[in-house]
Amino acid sequence: MMAPSPSFFTRRRLLWAALAAQVLFILAVAGAGYATTAFGRVVVLRTTPVDPRDLLFGDYVRLNYTISQVPARLWHGPQPPQAGQPVYVLLQPLRGAYEAAGVYSTEPAADAHQVVLRGWVTDSWAHGIRLRFGLERYYVPEKTGLSLEKSATRQPLLVRVSVAPWGQARIMQVAPAQN
Amino acid sequence: MSRKMLETEGREWVHKGIITPEQHQRLLALYPSDERVVGLLPLLGSLLVGLSALSLVAANWQGLPEWLRLLLLLGSLSGAYATGEYFLRRGNASLGMGLVGLGLLLFGAGIVLTSQMYQLIGYDASGLLAWALAGTVLTYLYRSRFLFILTACIGGIVQGYSTGQLGGFSYFTAALAIVGLGYYWWRQPDAVLATVLASGLLWQAGLLVSHLNAKITWFFIPAMLIYAVGDWQTDRPAGRALQAPPLVAAFLFTLGLALYGEADTYAGLLRPPFLAYSSALVLVLGLSVAGKYQRGRLSSATDWLLLLPGFYLHGGLALAIATLVVLYAYSGTVLWRGHQENNADRVTLGTVLFILTTMVAYFKLTWAFMDKSLFFLVGGALLLGLSSYLRRKNAQSLSSKLPE
Repeated sequence: MMAPSPSFFTRRRLLWAALAAQVLFILAVAGAGYATTAFGRVVVLRTTPVDPRDLLFGDYVRLNYTISQVPARLWHGPQPPQAGQPVYVLLQPLRGAYEAAGVYSTEPAADAHQVVLRGWVTDSWAHGIRLRFGLERYYVPEKTGLSLEKSATRQPLLVRVSVAPWGQARIMQVAPAQN
Repeated sequence: MSRKMLETEGREWVHKGIITPEQHQRLLALYPSDERVVGLLPLLGSLLVGLSALSLVAANWQGLPEWLRLLLLLGSLSGAYATGEYFLRRGNASLGMGLVGLGLLLFGAGIVLTSQMYQLIGYDASGLLAWALAGTVLTYLYRSRFLFILTACIGGIVQGYSTGQLGGFSYFTAALAIVGLGYYWWRQPDAVLATVLASGLLWQAGLLVSHLNAKITWFFIPAMLIYAVGDWQTDRPAGRALQAPPLVAAFLFTLGLALYGEADTYAGLLRPPFLAYSSALVLVLGLSVAGKYQRGRLSSATDWLLLLPGFYLHGGLALAIATLVVLYAYSGTVLWRGHQENNADRVTLGTVLFILTTMVAYFKLTWAFMDKSLFFLVGGALLLGLSSYLRRKNAQSLSSKLPE
């Protein structure tokens, strides 16, 4: 242990500061969650039907979006897409939900009605690109997983995602499509 | 000396008349029996209580309201640090440091669980970088080797996650390990920490090379840079320990080259642009030799034999044989230096390397045209003969140098 130094930064104060910084950081992560909801733009994504046996995993449902797999012609980048590469997906509204208008290796400019969602390439082949957005798991509130599972086998789900201006995205709500 | 040995051996000494029973008792009094067994019971008890609380929380985690979950995370985080500090002040260093380490792990868990709770997505490693940063700060504040090792592991995990899941190398995480942990080690040299630090940095260097899709031989530029830093370290054992992981990597790589280099396709995978690679390597070599010269350890420059870029040769048997010659030269110099310095550990190491090289050479040169049963018979006899010859030679040379 060090001898107490005469300066303002005594060991005890530094330890308190280190603890406070860690607590504040976790609170800031929580704050980022609220801020994404408060300042984000809400986009609605459509899921594709999945094998019901695959859907519910313990306390979360697995979501597969229509934008999870896109045609290769939407790719804009100097090199062909590589697995694991971070990408920016330009979304625009189409018949009540947002669909992919382009996949970019660097952040594209978006019109007023378009939204950019960040993601990663998981796989690419001659005609298509498979994407991952980090939105594939939805941790369901207690005991609602089963009803979601039932509705998802009959029809696609609509997922409301809030996308903050700084790029952070967060699932707000998962509900069956009303039609 | 352990008390247990004193108890058993002491009776024999009394019996032989070397010491009196009174002297035996006085000697035993110098080594009070370990009280730790008693101290272990409350620790085990509290561990079980803690585990039950943990499983209760984990089972109901999703059902708890958000504020309670946050409160639980922050409470256990602060609690671990506070009790750790309490035990440190009472002089119970290992329990105290253990609890502070637990606090650091809880901080990482807190970041992950909170972002999961709010369904946030990590696009870069900045969230986890805070974890590695907290570990570095705590390492300095507590001057703890345990926290140093924990932080080196955390850095490796963060970098692995960043390159594996997020598709980007976190240069901040690498810089934090180099500057934060590297400076700590440089000021407080330690052999164990040196090996941990070097291994952690090699892991990150490997991730960088694979992330950049560069030829794997580029790995040896940062690896030998770590090695060169060991040359400049004034604390000899710590410097040597920092050099061990890069050397192990270089030796294994050369061994692999001897085994598979014959196929030109493999050697072709290894060839970086000649001018860029060789000038970088020569630069690092200069740095290393300057350090060796400065600290008067020029004889260890033979380590660099392993870095001869033989893969620029055209593949084929010539490359395999050239590599084997290098391996023999290297293990020979290790043996020779062991004898010169009268260092039994190094002689053993040299012997092992020599035998390993012989195994590879034998496998490489005779597998194709020798009958398999004869192959193993001759190989086994060769190794047995070689090992007994080397052992006899070592025993002779070491005993001849022992002071009379």
